Amino acid sequence: MIPSIVFSTPMLSWIPFLQPAGSLGNLWWLLMIPLIVGISIAYRATHDASIEQFWWRVFMFVMKSTLAMGSLALVMYLFVYWVIPILRTT
Amino acid sequence: MTNDNDQLDEPLHWGAAFFGWICPGLGQIMLGHRRRGFLAMTGVLGLFLCGIFIGGVDCVDRHEDPLWFYAQAGTGPIAFAADWANSGLLKTGKVGELIESPPSNPRAPAPLVSSFKTVTVASEIGTLYCALAGLMNVVVLLDALKRRPIDKGSGEDAR
Repeated sequence: MIPSIVFSTPMLSWIPFLQPAGSLGNLWWLLMIPLIVGISIAYRATHDASIEQFWWRVFMFVMKSTLAMGSLALVMYLFVYWVIPILRTT
Repeated sequence: MTNDNDQLDEPLHWGAAFFGWICPGLGQIMLGHRRRGFLAMTGVLGLFLCGIFIGGVDCVDRHEDPLWFYAQAGTGPIAFAADWANSGLLKTGKVGELIESPPSNPRAPAPLVSSFKTVTVASEIGTLYCALAGLMNVVVLLDALKRRPIDKGSGEDAR
């Protein structure tokens, strides 16, 4: 699948922050990764007693959160496309 | 480094919490935790500005999305500024143009909306970013409320 960046208006007339930049089309869910990065920076800055190795801890937090959400998405996919059709046929 | 008991004994820093609401991370900076404050500021303001960038200022709307705005208002005056930009620039047609949208009641006149208004997933994601920025700033200012100030010259965390 070729990622298609969808802009609501042509780039030349686009006014940043006033007009939406648009989502990434079918890959809109990738925008969850910068969301997790922002949350983890703010969380790690306040939660940890020491801020030594701060960026490493942020990286690990982002990886764990992304993997957890990805796993949850996989479970939901299997449930919707595998389990529910089986339940409907029985 | 403080343990939990030390932090429980710590008096509440209402001034730091208030300035933390005015500008995310400022509470920690006032208490001497400069690096911690700037990092928190980076996280919260980064989230908020990313949200506005993705969905436009239409993401912050005090009148149309009041529940979302309660969360977004945690970011501080910047959320009110975005709401002002939305209602003062977009909704009045000073920027962009006002176009008719289908009325919910066929007998009512067609409402005018800004041509910059979006109803796509970009708007939803932008709204989510700004709301989570506000909620994270509540976490940050609660931390400033109970964090032990650093004495000048101790050097701890004050980079």
